[in-house]
Amino acid sequence: MGIKSFSRVRAIHVMLVYTGGCNGCDIEIVNSILSPRFDAEQYNVYLTWNPREADVLVVTGPVTHLNRKPLEEIYNAIPNPKLVVAAGSCALMGGVYKNCYGDIPSEEIEGPVENIIPVDAKVPGCAVRPQDVLAGVVSLLPILLDAD
Amino acid sequence: MFSNVMINSIIVAAVTVIVCFIISTFLPGIERKYVHARIQQRIGPLVISPGILAPIKFIFKENVKVESPVPGLYKSLPVICFIVVTCLLIALTPQAFAIPALSSLVAIVGLLKVEEICYVLMGALSKSVMSVRMPFPDQIKGAVHNNAARSFIEDISSRRSLRMITYGSFPLYLALFAPITQARSIFLADIVSYQQAHGPFLFTVSGAIAAIVFFIGYMIILNEYPFSIIKAKSDVIEGPYMEYAAKYRAVVYLTRGFFMMVLGVLFSVLFLGIPPLITSWSILVNIIVALIFVFMMGIFSAFSPVFTNRQLLPTILGTTLLGVLAIVIGLL
Amino acid sequence: MDEKVPRSNIIETEIPMGTVHPAALEPYRVRFFVEDEIVQEAEITIGVNHRGIERIMEGLPVEKANSLTEKICGICSNSHIWNSCRTAEMGLGIEIPERALYIRVIMGELERLHSHFLYLAHGCEVLSHETFSMRVFYLREIVMELLAMIGGNRVQYGCSVLGGVRPRCDLDEAKLLRLKNDMDAIEEGLTGFVERFTADSIVMSRITGIGVLPQKQAIELAVTGPTLRATGVARDLRTTMFEYDNFDFNVVTQPDGDVKSNLVMRALESFESIKIIRQAIANIPEGKVVNRDWEMFDTDIIESYIEVPRGTLYHSYALESGRVRHCIIRTPSMANIGAMQYACIGDQITDAQLCIVQCDPCFTCTDRAIEIIRR
Repeated sequence: MGIKSFSRVRAIHVMLVYTGGCNGCDIEIVNSILSPRFDAEQYNVYLTWNPREADVLVVTGPVTHLNRKPLEEIYNAIPNPKLVVAAGSCALMGGVYKNCYGDIPSEEIEGPVENIIPVDAKVPGCAVRPQDVLAGVVSLLPILLDAD
Repeated sequence: MFSNVMINSIIVAAVTVIVCFIISTFLPGIERKYVHARIQQRIGPLVISPGILAPIKFIFKENVKVESPVPGLYKSLPVICFIVVTCLLIALTPQAFAIPALSSLVAIVGLLKVEEICYVLMGALSKSVMSVRMPFPDQIKGAVHNNAARSFIEDISSRRSLRMITYGSFPLYLALFAPITQARSIFLADIVSYQQAHGPFLFTVSGAIAAIVFFIGYMIILNEYPFSIIKAKSDVIEGPYMEYAAKYRAVVYLTRGFFMMVLGVLFSVLFLGIPPLITSWSILVNIIVALIFVFMMGIFSAFSPVFTNRQLLPTILGTTLLGVLAIVIGLL
Repeated sequence: MDEKVPRSNIIETEIPMGTVHPAALEPYRVRFFVEDEIVQEAEITIGVNHRGIERIMEGLPVEKANSLTEKICGICSNSHIWNSCRTAEMGLGIEIPERALYIRVIMGELERLHSHFLYLAHGCEVLSHETFSMRVFYLREIVMELLAMIGGNRVQYGCSVLGGVRPRCDLDEAKLLRLKNDMDAIEEGLTGFVERFTADSIVMSRITGIGVLPQKQAIELAVTGPTLRATGVARDLRTTMFEYDNFDFNVVTQPDGDVKSNLVMRALESFESIKIIRQAIANIPEGKVVNRDWEMFDTDIIESYIEVPRGTLYHSYALESGRVRHCIIRTPSMANIGAMQYACIGDQITDAQLCIVQCDPCFTCTDRAIEIIRR
């Protein structure tokens, strides 16, 4: 393991973007990072709100119409190598909101996240459990290690 | 013969700077793990993670095009900050006492001012995605004040750093000038030799008050939590540092740790009369002083919310008066 | 207290924040109009979260629609399903077993606890007081475990069904005992926190007199829930709900309507919730938890109001051959948006997000049309 991989594993900056889910996943993720119970920092995962600092982007929610462009902008602002975790069933497949107009294509829901930005890891659950989010972020480490 | 002495002292000064720099990379981790995390009853990160591994990680990230009207200047600012901090440490080594222009309090204050001006420029030049540039239909029919001028959140931060230059850093400078009242000289060599003859300035009445003022000034200039209005998370997110990515962010990270260390050394020079010198055991005192400051700052910042201008002004005013008191007592 | 007037003439500069911002957590856009760092006017743009839940519910079988209402909000999910079931039960005249009512009240109060703890933690986080925030999150974790124990999931529990509660959510002796013990633990932890919090002079000086919402304004803006009670109006729908007939509790009010009043109010209200849960544990009647013995028929539009952690929640729909028609949902945060915009005025921009947070916003519930009719 070179110094590059060594440092990448031990300092992971996570940024969260909520794109209009029901708040359940959002709070569980904040919970996993802020509460001393789960304490993501013991795995050297830090919460940041600055896309320029982030390595991993955690996206929740079905990506509503007004959230599409901000999500793209934030994704573009993150320097390479970057990874995306889609957390929660809304982010994975649009959840209960995806087919809200039946056969008529929905203008509100642009998601799932995969339609907009490439997704590297998917964390299922409605709502996701904090343990799963941490596991999802940590499962990305091999990809992060191999990146240039 | 002369050149030999020259080279020797340059080598010693360089080694001192490098050792201090290496130790300084541990300081953010110590603050995070052993102070903040312990107080918050959690395990916390690896000690080396925030200070050493995070910058290394950022070095290996790809550079991005920064959004700034003057990208070249904006990118050079953290490097300037780093050089300024290094110069500050060089000025404090006993080898530099031979150059009176560098090793005087005026030079030190000047260097600190450069550091502060860098924050103003950083804030003014950073145009991050998080506020105005966020693609969102703001100015539409029905919205209020459609013709108002629009500012980035970094602009507030820049204006605040300007305010900090005008009055926020008074406490630190007053504390720096307090030892002069005893040594009657602005040259570090005289201050150090006076204290070695008469005992540390810290253990006088005036010195003890000035040390408190110095500590508050230390927290203000490091933008640590109660005084961190230029990078408060509740409005400006990261303020001046918003747009730095990859290598430049690594420099930002390293500068912060190094600055903590250098200010600790500055205190031990001015208040204890012990300059950093790698060849003597007294460098341990410098390191311990720096560590004590980091611990105190960590404890203080873990228990305080961010101040707004409303609380900041009285705090700074009070501290400034305390600093004036220290100088007056010293003069009497 | 002078009335604060939004400035309509020249504005120095505008600072937009969102849709992603650390203090907001939820996606919404807010534009602050600032003069010398003092907020002169604020404009909150909702609609970022619009997903059209009512449209999805239209025409669904009522059982399905009920469980869908949970997805309106991840914080007060239980309140939505509770009120939605209550609407149908009122229309169809379904009798609910006494034990089910008690379990619903326990769930409702647990949810109030977790919502208020989240509020306190988020408030401290926006104050940048990480330590206090962590401590409340630690307490909140006990509540979350209890909710997971009863409902089987940490966020969307799906506790209420038509005619009672899911049999999974029935409380046996062991669960009641654990609930009882954890209430003691929460009360102890919360008491410690509140004592520390109110004794901390730095924090108190920071939040006293910030984001003031006068009582007159609060009534005019039709503010509901704890935000209204923090301005001194003792209005709580729980006093009129038949579910709470057998319980003895106080309606907590605070006088000032500033951030301090709001935070302290939430903490004091949490103690009342603990009190209600204790009474429920002590008096819970035996019997079945769900009444399956009811018939479906068409109804007119049925309306139901309940008190949820953030205020008054309104659900209404008509039933047509077992399906939901003309669904309208009005969430409490929507009523409080006017208060959020108003509370920011006249404060430092650093406090502006705090003033929004003090009204306990939940923008995911909120994306609906709004019109304030001043009378």
